Amino acid sequence: MNQPGLWVQLDHLSGPQRTLLQHLTFGVEPGQCLTLIGPSGVGKSALLAAIAGTLDMLAADDTPPLHCQAQVWLNGRCISGLPCHQRQVGLVWQHPTLFAHLTVAQNLLLAVPSGAKAQRLRQVSLALERAGLAGFESRHPATLSGGQASRVALMRALLAKPEALLLDEPFAALDPALRGQLRAWVLEQAKTQSIPVLLVTHLAEDIADPQRVLELSNV
Amino acid sequence: MNATGPWRARWSPGVGGVVLGLALVPPLAVTWLALFWWPASDAWRSVWAHPSFFTALQHTLVSAVLATTLAWLSCAAWCRWIMLQRRVGRAHVGLPTILAMPHLAFAVGVALWLAPSGWLLRLVSPWATGFEWPPNWSTTQDPWGLSLTAVLWLKEAPFLCWVAAAHMQHHTHRQDWARAWVVAQTMGHSPARAFGVAVWPPLAQRLRWALLAVWAYGVSVVDVALVMGPTNPPTLSVLAWQWLHQGDPQQQAMGVAAAWVVAALALAPMAWWWCARAARLGTARVGAAVGAWTPSFFALRHGAWLYAAVWVALALGSVMGPWPFPDVWPASWSQAAWLGVFEAGDTLTDTVSLAVGAASLSVAFVVLWLECVPGGWQRHWQWLLWLPLVIPQVFWAMGLYGLALLAGAEGQWWAVCVAHGVMAVPYVWLVLGPAWQRVPGHHAAVLATLGRTAWAYRWHVKWPMLVPALCVAWAIGYAVGLAQYLPTLAVGAGRLSTVTTEAVSLSAGGQRAVGSAYALVQMFLPWLVFVLAGWVARARRIPGVVV
Repeated sequence: MNQPGLWVQLDHLSGPQRTLLQHLTFGVEPGQCLTLIGPSGVGKSALLAAIAGTLDMLAADDTPPLHCQAQVWLNGRCISGLPCHQRQVGLVWQHPTLFAHLTVAQNLLLAVPSGAKAQRLRQVSLALERAGLAGFESRHPATLSGGQASRVALMRALLAKPEALLLDEPFAALDPALRGQLRAWVLEQAKTQSIPVLLVTHLAEDIADPQRVLELSNV
Repeated sequence: MNATGPWRARWSPGVGGVVLGLALVPPLAVTWLALFWWPASDAWRSVWAHPSFFTALQHTLVSAVLATTLAWLSCAAWCRWIMLQRRVGRAHVGLPTILAMPHLAFAVGVALWLAPSGWLLRLVSPWATGFEWPPNWSTTQDPWGLSLTAVLWLKEAPFLCWVAAAHMQHHTHRQDWARAWVVAQTMGHSPARAFGVAVWPPLAQRLRWALLAVWAYGVSVVDVALVMGPTNPPTLSVLAWQWLHQGDPQQQAMGVAAAWVVAALALAPMAWWWCARAARLGTARVGAAVGAWTPSFFALRHGAWLYAAVWVALALGSVMGPWPFPDVWPASWSQAAWLGVFEAGDTLTDTVSLAVGAASLSVAFVVLWLECVPGGWQRHWQWLLWLPLVIPQVFWAMGLYGLALLAGAEGQWWAVCVAHGVMAVPYVWLVLGPAWQRVPGHHAAVLATLGRTAWAYRWHVKWPMLVPALCVAWAIGYAVGLAQYLPTLAVGAGRLSTVTTEAVSLSAGGQRAVGSAYALVQMFLPWLVFVLAGWVARARRIPGVVV
């Protein structure tokens, strides 16, 4: 798979009791967004976790982890065997998961590749400006509204310069107006930076492109 | 709905106020008596001018700073290890066994290994060292306080790990921190660094009271310092205790002054924290560095063997007869030490009865606190329960002795029992506090909608769910009560002896076999109770309920 973008060839994704998904192949080109829909428990979030390499990290350690057999290529590079931090895949959940002990700027700085501090701070300021959050550098996550926190989380994921972005219902907790605004904003960012996006949602209005929808069903 | 909120109000504020008042009595008494006995300026001058003072202070600082730092780093490494190994849910396995091991017994066992005539040198002598006689080395009671440091480090690190594990398993943190750890990795940070930047700083923030307790213990410990610490001069807390024990009022005043210095040292980090918070000093960078520190995972995985080695040393040490150096095994075995222990029936009876009483009192008090004291009061006054951990033992011993004198109860069994119970409260609260919080709040609401009373909820739902935690808390209260040294001496006025007081005097006096036997009893009794508590807890554990 030498094409640019994100390509997934899944043999199976299984839990301790049953197989969730099997024989699934799909790809997302740079700047495009593929929407994953399907009933609860079908394995949408697990599929994103398998692509990001976080499948066994979030499971309670007294439950057996899910097992996945899949090949994942990102811009021609096979990332299936790599640990999460080497895959260059950004992941954003419904819960923004900002680090509560750090300010907004410090949260974003964590995602900026190493370099001179002044330059990194400038990147952070620019990012906040783009997200409509200029001047929020020294605020703590607890003082942000839900929409602001989601924007910071999305911007943090983008600042890490991911080669693909996985969104696990990141707009679900927001009110409809803000949801539409944020969705448009993040898709525009992804398009500008030529990043393939995989979006999991339950909501029909979140579907970015009706031509690019993958409906998952129970095996 | 908070399960304990509105329903608690039916008990309080009357009962809650009484419980809070009870919690206030010991610290107020300690403070009042310490101020009442405030030494005159002559005593302070004598302390500063005493030739041993600054060296004793140096011993105290070196051992406490090193032990606290090492325990802190070990705890960070251990937390990262359990996170990376997906062992957070099973993190407590094995820790209670190590925690049940009293500091003193551990010190006596370590001394059997480390002493110039100990097993460590015997195992490699004479073939590797050439020693035919024990070398003239100071491997225990060394003048630098290093052996004391090692014992404090190895005993305090599991305590920090235990508190950290409780926080990591707490339902409000567990998922959040796991997510934060994953997010940091998706940004390109390695698992270790991701732990350092995303998990360790908020976790470390929650460990500050436990860390303060470790520091305060290191600064003020007396029994372990008598066995492992420097002797000439000893650490400052030992020096204070020795002065307090003199018949001469001038020396007693010097003892009180030295105890105040120990108290100031113990509480100094708290002042620093307040200043740091006021100055808004960031801790994230330090947290990242500590959390990302890479020790050997081998040591973490196999560290438990070290504690097992102490058991073995005490067991063999207690039955040794003549034991010429450099033989690995004694020339003959002897049961004389054990005969001596069993002949001291009163000591054993007092030890067990005091520990049972202390455990029962401390558990009853903490349950009353959690059930009766309103939530807002609990948040404001929770620090009271921690005080026995952060105020030096010498001060507590003085204060509790003063209270016993006022009550005319010095030397009475029940007064010593209450003193031991007070010291056990913070440890019991460490177990029961989080367990009480983990009780699902909606159960109370469900039972209320069924028309049942708050008592029915407690009796049929809440307390049965908490039986495993109550068993563990009682076992910990028992172990802490059994390990008390200074309160037994002070409040008991020398009329009561326990295996702890006997082990200190015998080990510090160089009677290796009898000292080992008493230390082994001191170690075995809590271990037995932990095994029983674990058995009951497992039998009563309800599938799917984690409290």
